Amino acid sequence: MAKTYDYLFKLLLIGDSGVGKTCVLFRFSEDAFNSTFISTIGIDFKIRTIELEGKKIKLQIWDTAGQERFRTITTAYYRGAMGIMLVYDITNEKSFYNIRTWIRNIEEHASNDVEKMILGNKCDMNDRRQVSKEKGEALAVEYGVKFLETSAKASINVEEGFISLARDIKAKMDRKLEASNPSNRTAHQLKNEPSKKSRKWSCALL
Amino acid sequence: MEESVTRKFVHEESSTITSLCGAVEACLLHGLRKRSLGLFKNSTTTALLQKINKNCPPATEVLRVLGQVEQNNDNLKKSIDSNRNQTSLSNRKTQYNPKYLWIRIALFEKQLAKILEYLVTNSSKYYEKDALMTDPCDGPTFSTLLVGPCALDYTRMKTPDHFWTDPPADELVQRHRIHSSAHGNHQMRSDSPKRPGLQVLPVRRHTSSSSEESARTVLTSAKEYVESLHQNNKSTLLYGKNNVLVQPREDVEPLAGYLSLHQESAGLSVKWTPNQLMNGCCDKEQDEESADRSLFWDFAVTVYIDEIVYLHCHQRSDTGGTIVLVGQDGVQRPPIHFPKGGHLLAFLSCLENGLLPHGQLDPPLWSQRGRGKVFPRLKRKGSRLSSAASAGSGHSEDEATDYVFRIVSTFRPENLPTLQWASSQGSRPPVPEVIATPPPPSVSSLDEAMDINGDVDEATEGHRSAVKMLCDTMRRQILSRAFYGWLSHCRHLKTVRTHLSGLVNNVIVAVDDPSDASGGLSAELWAEMSQGGVVKDKGNIYRLVYYGGCVHEVRKEVWPYLLGHYAFGSTEEERVEHDDHVKQQYERTMSEWLAIEAIVRQRDKETMAANLAKLSQESQDMIPLVRKDSSLSNDAELLDSVALNLHRIDKDVQRCDRNYWYFTPTNLDKLRNVMCTYVWEHLEVGYVQGMCDLVAPLLVIFDDEAKAYSCFCHLMKRMSSNFPHGGAMDQHFANMRSLIQILDPELFEHMHQYGDYTHFYFCYRWFLLDFKRELVYDDVFCVWETIWAARHISSRHFVLFLALALVQYYRDIIMDNNMDFTDIIKFFNEMAERHNAKQVLQLSRELVYKLQDLIDNK
Repeated sequence: MAKTYDYLFKLLLIGDSGVGKTCVLFRFSEDAFNSTFISTIGIDFKIRTIELEGKKIKLQIWDTAGQERFRTITTAYYRGAMGIMLVYDITNEKSFYNIRTWIRNIEEHASNDVEKMILGNKCDMNDRRQVSKEKGEALAVEYGVKFLETSAKASINVEEGFISLARDIKAKMDRKLEASNPSNRTAHQLKNEPSKKSRKWSCALL
Repeated sequence: MEESVTRKFVHEESSTITSLCGAVEACLLHGLRKRSLGLFKNSTTTALLQKINKNCPPATEVLRVLGQVEQNNDNLKKSIDSNRNQTSLSNRKTQYNPKYLWIRIALFEKQLAKILEYLVTNSSKYYEKDALMTDPCDGPTFSTLLVGPCALDYTRMKTPDHFWTDPPADELVQRHRIHSSAHGNHQMRSDSPKRPGLQVLPVRRHTSSSSEESARTVLTSAKEYVESLHQNNKSTLLYGKNNVLVQPREDVEPLAGYLSLHQESAGLSVKWTPNQLMNGCCDKEQDEESADRSLFWDFAVTVYIDEIVYLHCHQRSDTGGTIVLVGQDGVQRPPIHFPKGGHLLAFLSCLENGLLPHGQLDPPLWSQRGRGKVFPRLKRKGSRLSSAASAGSGHSEDEATDYVFRIVSTFRPENLPTLQWASSQGSRPPVPEVIATPPPPSVSSLDEAMDINGDVDEATEGHRSAVKMLCDTMRRQILSRAFYGWLSHCRHLKTVRTHLSGLVNNVIVAVDDPSDASGGLSAELWAEMSQGGVVKDKGNIYRLVYYGGCVHEVRKEVWPYLLGHYAFGSTEEERVEHDDHVKQQYERTMSEWLAIEAIVRQRDKETMAANLAKLSQESQDMIPLVRKDSSLSNDAELLDSVALNLHRIDKDVQRCDRNYWYFTPTNLDKLRNVMCTYVWEHLEVGYVQGMCDLVAPLLVIFDDEAKAYSCFCHLMKRMSSNFPHGGAMDQHFANMRSLIQILDPELFEHMHQYGDYTHFYFCYRWFLLDFKRELVYDDVFCVWETIWAARHISSRHFVLFLALALVQYYRDIIMDNNMDFTDIIKFFNEMAERHNAKQVLQLSRELVYKLQDLIDNK
């Protein structure tokens, strides 16, 4: 079978049980919403190919079980991940506080340079909101990662989130490639660096 | 129709949708009063839709979308190019086959059921008296049936490229079906694994009669060949030595060349390349060289070790020694002359290591402290055999330094006595027949042969006796092969017995003794066996359920026995008493946690309202706690723990099998009660995801909380150790590894090579939930009762064999598509609820039997 993509990125979805990881993934991979999903047991993944800067990028997104009991099993998948999406539920304060635990978990088990992003899901349910958007943004700034409030149900920001994460991974990859290939370094760096800086927090302030 | 209901989501362009729409159309046309529609030139059901437009809002909505789509269709025809790159929803709809177009749209817009309901209610206006829609029973049933499909979400996201890079599971299954039907094999798997489980890896390439030929066939291009000499991702270099002499052809002088030993996925191979080819750097005389080179390519030798049976080894004091490889066909490969300095032994040692773990040298090399590998001290026997074997070649050898090594597989599973169902496809005759012929050769019989040879005096007899001796030698070699085959088979069996005998029961319970059990436990049989209110013959009940399952109507009565809720032999009064007792206990436990729940609810409310994390001291004092000691800090801890568990249970109960008819809000409450009661009783473990999945089928069968609870407790005796706190899972994985190595070594090898997923993590959900998520409900029932009965009939680890059967069922697809770990995960996740449970069950029973038979056959 011919390779029909330029990059393969492995992403991972983590977060408390019931925050909507599977639904976020389903929205992104199938552009649909299903309210009858059963809890995830074990591990599953979905694939979607996107195009970034003229390159085809195949995203292989792994979905994990949320309950901390399964962490020993799910952490086995952290290592291969190039990007990790941390998901909490804006109507569930606890799931938000647990993001810290999840990040600690990543620091323990994932590779050091893994790209991270925080998603506050279920933002269509504003009437039951327990976590303000500002709190979510503050946490993201604290960890130096990007943040978006999403709704898998109303199809808000899901696509944007994954594409932003993929873009960051690609940028990191390109930088590494340049570093190891110094011949055309100067030209590229001049082009890339400023845009990178100005873009860094733009998503958090959407 | 059924498929679209049971599957969680369906692609809009799925063929299922087309057939569903076709069925709806046919139903709608049945008995339609055409006259009532007026003079519409359109297809009649569309006309019907237009007719009801005024009075039925959903129809209006559908017609509106239909209009848009048709408009777009027209636009598209006019300006295909401008629309091509847009991906808006309405544009994409233009791709649809206009057939059943309005029905499709109504389905995707979730209006179809409403329209049908309207038509049924007003059927007298549009339909004849005997029409399906007018029928008081069929009409409403028809419209209700479509409520399900209308509730589904239809996806249109899949881009075409996924189809090629990541073909979905059903596509793979389909491709396999097509490809295997070409070979006249319509089944997923040829009635047992394609190659009977226990078998050495089959021949992977055609065997050519001489090494020259095989070298030529393999040598597709010089570049490829040279690359193959190096270590690469496909092959590992085990040994390399320059200036090894080989006489590639009788008319050519021995040439010096580079000898190498490679380990490839297909096995070991020995290569020898003349120096003239290896030294590509000669600048001068290039013209001369290039003329010769083509000749040297012909001399290059490639020998596959799995085609080799014997390895003759001649040592002489003045050279480094010679090795002659003899193939299965009896043809000798060109002798390989080693330079002095122990190179021959080094080569043998590397070869021996490379043969592991599936093969070995016989006799094996001896390890000597300080010297490494040495030749075995079998001088007498070895030299006799070798001199006998090379009697025709006229060599005069030094007795002390000649050896014949056999290359043997450590086990020769094709020689194992195979089962009826496995041997039916023409496997070789089982070993016992072979070894029933005269015993293996001994030194004395060899001596006799020599003596006979010496006694012959007539010159003409000399030739004949040489031939006779050759025949004797061949006979002996055949016998010794059979003997060694049998020997390694015995060794292999010993391994099986030591490691795997614990996985199956010793006694084989037959399907047809005393009666044929393959029909399962029917209602009649059950009535007969439970006559008088006492069920005694538990052995037969287990046997019937194991071999044929249980008819659905009697599950409610049979399952409590299978799970241990009722005792076999109990009277009706005893059972009623037991049920009452269980019920009382259940209600008591429920009242305990309900009291705590009330506090938790109150606390949550207060937390929410006041946005405070802690309860006030007062409110805690006021509420009496029913359970455990009443010191304040402990109570707070208990409250926290219960609250946490309740929230988790709620979250999972709310999303448990919502696509299955049973789980209405009322019945979900029952599920929640059972779950909470169990967790309250096991608070130290707490609720773990997956427990709901295990309660659900029990509740469906019993529809009785107390009974479901009691049976769930019994079920959890076995299952709880599978959950993360238990540790049984790793044991399952380890057992899977051993089983598949023995029962399907080829597949094991594949799994090992493609990123090594012999850790079997992809079976995690299977074991955690007893395959509940892998199968549809009806099949879950059948598989579960088989697992419970298997404990008493064939194996208390039946789940292992089910898992093995599930893997083996698709083994050809797995291997043909070179699936790695991610492919396997994707494949089995997509195949969930789409397996043929009946065949998988049958295969797992066969696998148990196969292992039992292996162990039994001493």
